[in-house]
Parts: sequence; C-alpha cells; structure tokens
Amino acid sequence: MTDPVDEQAPLEAVLKDEIVRMYQEVADNPSGSFHFFHGRGAAELFDYRPEWLDRAPASAVDSFAGVGNPHERSNLQPGETVLDLGSGAGLDAIIASWCVGPSGKVIGVDLNPAMCLKVQAHAAATGTRMECQVGRMEDIPLPSNSVDVAISNGVINLSFRKRRVVQEIFRVLRPGGRISITDIVSAKQLSQSIVNDPKLWAS
Amino acid sequence: MFRLLEESGFTRVRSAVVPRFRFRKESTQNSAEAYGVKAVMMTAVKPPD
Repeated sequence: MTDPVDEQAPLEAVLKDEIVRMYQEVADNPSGSFHFFHGRGAAELFDYRPEWLDRAPASAVDSFAGVGNPHERSNLQPGETVLDLGSGAGLDAIIASWCVGPSGKVIGVDLNPAMCLKVQAHAAATGTRMECQVGRMEDIPLPSNSVDVAISNGVINLSFRKRRVVQEIFRVLRPGGRISITDIVSAKQLSQSIVNDPKLWAS
Repeated sequence: MFRLLEESGFTRVRSAVVPRFRFRKESTQNSAEAYGVKAVMMTAVKPPD
C-alpha cells in the first residue's frame, strides 16, 4: 500500500510550482488582480503600523500577501533569533529585524530563490542581521533548537503536510521558544476539486 | 491546526480570529464562507527543558 503522502507527491510538486509562480507574480506585478488582498491596503487592514509601512522598502510593502499580523502578539525582544517561515518579499522579516535589533537575527525561509535575494538585498542595504535560506517549510534548513521565535503569515495552509511543518517548527525552536503565526483554517474538509486545483489551493 | 500544535508538543496554545480577513474576489469569499474558512492568529510555546 502506498503512503498517502507519496500518492500526493505529483500534485504537491505542481502545487509548489504554482505557489512560487503566484507569489512571484504578486512581487512582479503588485497592481495585478488576485484572489486575496495584498500590498499596503492589506497590511493596513491587519493593523500594521503606518510608520512600519512608510519605513519598509516599497517592494516589500507592495508585495505583502499575508492574512493577518503576526507582530501583534510576537512580543519580539532585542537579541532574539527569529525564523520567518515563508518570508516572501520580506516585510515581516524586515519588521522583525527592527524589533530584535543589531544583537538579534532574522532568518527567512522561502521556496523562491528570487524572494530570498530580495530579503538579502535589503539586509545588505541596511546592515541589518537578516538572511534568507531557500527551502521548504516541511524540511526547514535550520539546526534544531536554534531559534527563539517562529513567525509565519498565511503560509502553513499552503502545505499538504501541515503536521510535518508544525513538527519542523517545534524542532528548530529552542526549549521555551514560541510561535506567533497567522494562517487560514477551514471548519470543513475542502472538496477534492479544490484540493486538486493548484490555483485555488495556492490562493 | 490548533490540534496539530498541541499534538506536536506545543503548550499554551491560543488562537483568535483575524476579524477583517476576507478574500478579494467575491466568488472566492463565498466559497470560503461555505467551508468556514477564516484567518486566525495563533501563539504557542515549546516547553522549556
């Protein structure tokens, strides 16, 4: 009997490609039309502070595609090491870097190498301790017990293997570490037609 | 998701609905409502040693 995860592997691969494509499109064409709100309007909807949005690079703000505000309850402190899972164009990672300061560190993880380059470019331009690793949230490319806080914004719902993602977050957190994540949940099992449609799933 | 966090060993799991989340396209929002889709904020702690 095949493992249900193995059976879904081809669809998962298609889904990963669609996720990369869709969120790259948000970054490349922020004035485009998507299933979800994005950009400064979305960030303001979720009570991102105006001063953050004024200070952050326009490319990061315009490409914001989160579903809430993980900073509301993250309580980030100077010196902390933060993982931003699914860091995208980097707005949440940038805000986190301001909170933890020069004695802290922010590590973004994203599927899309182009997004990681954006985060790294901002870090280089501003001297903040921020880096980005290309990788999957199902196999976070970080050592165990290495981060103080994990944040994520509208990302975990995109995985077929949410249990694995949560286990990975648990693994990389130090004992006593914490999470502050915002994500999409559903009260009912999604229909197979939705599950099989990468565009709908990635939205 | 709440259950996954607890089963993975997290404690002090808390969640709250993100009140103003909605999809941009009306058809997507209607489908989302039919499935009880919403955005939530979750916090949790990995137990100390």
